[in-house]
Amino acid sequence: MSSVFRAIWDNTYGLLVDDGQLAIGAILALALTWVIAHSGTDVLSENAGWVLLALVLALVFANLYRAGRNARRRAG
Amino acid sequence: MDFTTLAIAATPSFLASAVEFVEATTIVLAVGITRGWRAPLVGTALATLTLAVIVATLGVALVTVVPEHLLLGIVGTLLLLFGLRWLRKAVLRFAGIVAVHDEEEIYRREVAELRAQGLRRNRWDWIGMIVAYKAVLLEGTEVAFIVIAFGAKGVGAMNAAILGAIAAGIIVIALASALRAPLTAVPENWMKFGVGAMLSSFGIFWFGEGVGAAWPGDAASIPVILGSFLLASWIAVRMLGGLLPQGARVEARNV
Repeated sequence: MSSVFRAIWDNTYGLLVDDGQLAIGAILALALTWVIAHSGTDVLSENAGWVLLALVLALVFANLYRAGRNARRRAG
Repeated sequence: MDFTTLAIAATPSFLASAVEFVEATTIVLAVGITRGWRAPLVGTALATLTLAVIVATLGVALVTVVPEHLLLGIVGTLLLLFGLRWLRKAVLRFAGIVAVHDEEEIYRREVAELRAQGLRRNRWDWIGMIVAYKAVLLEGTEVAFIVIAFGAKGVGAMNAAILGAIAAGIIVIALASALRAPLTAVPENWMKFGVGAMLSSFGIFWFGEGVGAAWPGDAASIPVILGSFLLASWIAVRMLGGLLPQGARVEARNV
């Protein structure tokens, strides 16, 4: 039965931090967006959502690029 | 809420749940066909009950206790984290870096393992029940979180999210029961990719609303955000395809 609980824990943990760097990066992007929305200029605050989108897209690209580089190194 | 609005609201939860139900059904089928149906069906029912309790307690607590702007922030964060995880995995699968989910292979492996465990007649099949319970609970946990996240905007949204998940469950189980075989024809990676992009888009939109950002046209911005994710993913698949030699892609797919 302990293996069941371990598997449940692993799965729940994996939901949020399956790829630790991506999850941490996303949380940092969210935090930065919150800061911009609350302390930036009016124009910046109103466009905080687009800033978040740009940050997340950059993060996804960087993460996938790193995964691709790692796969190429393993293949080579 | 009219039928069309309900159907639109239930779609994200329906698609996300369908993917997870396909994975859970493969395991339950393997147990049922190998060891008989009573124990796995009881395991499935118990896991469904556990998930219903999770959705009811966490969902109601979120909707009733947490202030709206904070709720949007929490839900946006959850959706973004789930969505990015699914999107990343789907892109890596399309690019050949991670093996594509193979229901047929999973089914064969599960049947072999269950046969190796042996079965005594006239005894309650604890192994069959626990394997089914575990599979449904693990795959269902993601469904439960997604239902909570999509339903957290209010009672109407929660009903739509729950209905979407139930409809997905009924359709997948009915198909699997009719075929008596794993649902290999379901384009799982495409669905995961679409749902990942959708969850990420909703996550960004709701988090933005939560922190007071102005979206031009309000919800009309969601298709623009979704389009950005789809375009970025397509570029990423092309970029990764260029990074890997052809042989490495084939090898990765055979894992």
